[in-house]
Amino acid sequence: MPGERPIARNTLLTLGVVAIVGLLLAWAQGVGGAKLNDTLALFAIWGIAALSLNLVNGTTGILSLGHHGFMLIGGYVTALLILPDSARQQISSSARSAMTPFTLGLSVEGAFAALGLQALTTPGTLWVRFLVALLVGGLVAMVFGLIVGIPSLRLKGDYLAIVTFGFGEIIRLTASTSLFAPFTNGALGYAGVPSEFGKSLGWTFALLGITLFVLTKLKFSSHGRALQAIREDEIAAEAMGVALARHKVMAFAISAFFAGIAGGLWVSYLSAARLDFFLFFLTFFFLVAISVGGTGSYTGVLMGTAVVVFVQQYGDPLEQTYPLETWFALVGALVLAAGLGGAWFRRRTRLRPVWHPLTVILAAIGAVVLAVALLAPNWAPFDGTFQAFGMRRILLAVLLITIMALRPEGIMSRAEFSWAWLLRERTAEPSDEERAQDAWLSNPDLNRPGGAADAGGAGDAGDAASTAVGRYDYASDHPSAQGDPLPRALLDEDGPGAHPLLERGSKPRDVQRYGSAGDPAFHEDGSEGAPEGVPEGAASGPDPEDADGAAGDARGDERQDEHQDERDDEGRA
Amino acid sequence: MSMLSVRDVSKSFGGLQATHQLSFDVEPGEIVSVIGPNGAGKTTLFNLITGVYTPDEGDIQLEGTSLVGRSPDQVVGAGIARTFQNLRLFTNLSVLENVLIPQHRRRHVPWWQAVLRTRSYREAERVMHERALEALSFFGPRLMSFRLHQPVYVLSYANRRRTEMARAMATGAKMLLLDEPSAGMNPKETKEITQIIRRMRDEGGYTILLVEHKMNLVGEISDRVIVLDYGRKIAEGAYEDVVNDPAVLEAYLGKRSDDASEEGAA
Repeated sequence: MPGERPIARNTLLTLGVVAIVGLLLAWAQGVGGAKLNDTLALFAIWGIAALSLNLVNGTTGILSLGHHGFMLIGGYVTALLILPDSARQQISSSARSAMTPFTLGLSVEGAFAALGLQALTTPGTLWVRFLVALLVGGLVAMVFGLIVGIPSLRLKGDYLAIVTFGFGEIIRLTASTSLFAPFTNGALGYAGVPSEFGKSLGWTFALLGITLFVLTKLKFSSHGRALQAIREDEIAAEAMGVALARHKVMAFAISAFFAGIAGGLWVSYLSAARLDFFLFFLTFFFLVAISVGGTGSYTGVLMGTAVVVFVQQYGDPLEQTYPLETWFALVGALVLAAGLGGAWFRRRTRLRPVWHPLTVILAAIGAVVLAVALLAPNWAPFDGTFQAFGMRRILLAVLLITIMALRPEGIMSRAEFSWAWLLRERTAEPSDEERAQDAWLSNPDLNRPGGAADAGGAGDAGDAASTAVGRYDYASDHPSAQGDPLPRALLDEDGPGAHPLLERGSKPRDVQRYGSAGDPAFHEDGSEGAPEGVPEGAASGPDPEDADGAAGDARGDERQDEHQDERDDEGRA
Repeated sequence: MSMLSVRDVSKSFGGLQATHQLSFDVEPGEIVSVIGPNGAGKTTLFNLITGVYTPDEGDIQLEGTSLVGRSPDQVVGAGIARTFQNLRLFTNLSVLENVLIPQHRRRHVPWWQAVLRTRSYREAERVMHERALEALSFFGPRLMSFRLHQPVYVLSYANRRRTEMARAMATGAKMLLLDEPSAGMNPKETKEITQIIRRMRDEGGYTILLVEHKMNLVGEISDRVIVLDYGRKIAEGAYEDVVNDPAVLEAYLGKRSDDASEEGAA
């Protein structure tokens, strides 16, 4: 139960992990080299953006494709507000600059100076100005989020996705028009944005931590439940009093705010703001991260982001020039792996035959290609070299396809990482007592008034049940119903057992599996009044093997049918 | 003042007249059943009351305030909650979460307070959990034990129906519209749900309007029965009177051409 979670222990564990991550990051920043540092910073920045997109896509269930637009707004606002004077002079002296003296004068430094806060305009306090610029960038993006949220009130599903995609592109394209060029400096953008924040692991990971904290707390609050209700069923959510418009717009606005923050860090990371830093591929990467990690799971999305960033940063070897035989060997190995993987998958899911003709053919082709490429690298068709441009994106796309085919809900599905899960605490599992009660309730033979079970073991189960009954204790209000978890008035007088069809239909399969061994109340033949006289061995009642055997049989039958079909297919072929 | 009063409500979809000049009242604490053949306009009536559709003409009032033109969530705020004929639960959420969601509207705390888990938010959350368990306790241990934290998709059909009714109760509404509460239940479960509906009125104090096809359930619990056919009210009154009404028999069974005169006499 959530209320009974050991909160102090979890907090301590979390703080410990945060401290360890902090130490690791400090080590990476000091020793790890520029490449590792950049990769981790990129992970944090894209992580913020992917998490914020997940609030709309995963939690609220609205497919939004315009996230790069919000990042652009946040990025440009942040860049303009903290641009150093040297960069401003360069822009104003350039003949192609579209900026006016007024727009060039917009800066946090200027604002602080005007407010008389001279102490905050020194180079040493640049971080304060950066934070303010970041916040303003986020807020401006939030305003645009509100604007985009409005069409979402009338549109649903695919149509809304198209609108948000259009909106993202409109933001990017209008930013270079003469109307907005004084603010964005047209296609030139800004150069010389201070990069000590976007590349600092301390800053980026602190902001990632804040984002993760806010969004997960939001998810597990009453507001988060309302958003998830919208995802699950919009009509039902509205019928349960969730104001759709307000909650959707709220989701868009909060999401856009964090996207704006990510945009600000992104321009700092790149030390420049240009329109081609905010192409649709950004949103695509975040979508891949969300789909891989698990739609709706924030910790899963971080995992997905790690995968995407790793491929993006360390995928260079994929795009270099290699001799053709290397490519053939690679393709052969992949096809062979696909064949073997297919067989493994069929074995795991108990499909027969394990060696389906298709897996055999795939594995054979792969093995042959691999063998030829390895044994005869100088064979004439292998002359020449090949460079695969864009292989990283192809790899990501293939990854997406594989995940969608094998585990469409993503690695983490909707679940979040939690200490209880890590320590194998199963809170949702029924206790033996609850199982006993449930079996008693759902077995019509056992709770039939005057039925055989009444005389026998049902008393035990009844006691177990009445101790576990919830807040409303009907029995205490109705003395005649003492001992019964449900009053007799609620039970069918004739007993459902009177009708053979009903008896079969209403006896749940789970009774046998849930029944605790040794409890005669769960004996399969409870209705026949056997419990008292049954010998010890037989009274152990619910034979687990039996239950499993029955379930297994049912499954086996299905599989056998499939097998049969396949054999038929083969026969025809 | 009557709890719900429907006055001359008409709604048509293109050429189809779904309800025509429909009028009736529901008094506080009553259980009223709406019956009628398929396509009679029962679910349309529910959709009109709950704000899914806006009536073309006429007025719907809850305790004297008009509901016409309000959105479904505003109607819930006014005090009418419903269940759906074909279950619309939040399937990936747990039973408890399903019953917590309808209380979000009444115990609204700004989102940033929810993020920071301020005192007022925690207080609201505590009350919400209490109310949720209260609503669920109507259904006894069936939903109260480990089921509380199970996702709805693992529940049986009957338990889903129970969860949906608990969810409607948790909105804090005064009046519940139940759309076929016993659909898909076996006779034992039907009997049980009959008792629960009665207890919802007696102990929970709800006024209940229900659509139902199982006549024994209708006969057992209804104070009053309203019969619809082709969007018109063809009969209203106690169950025994209504089921023997010739117009009702005609609507359900059709008219026999040779005893038209007898019917006129009756």
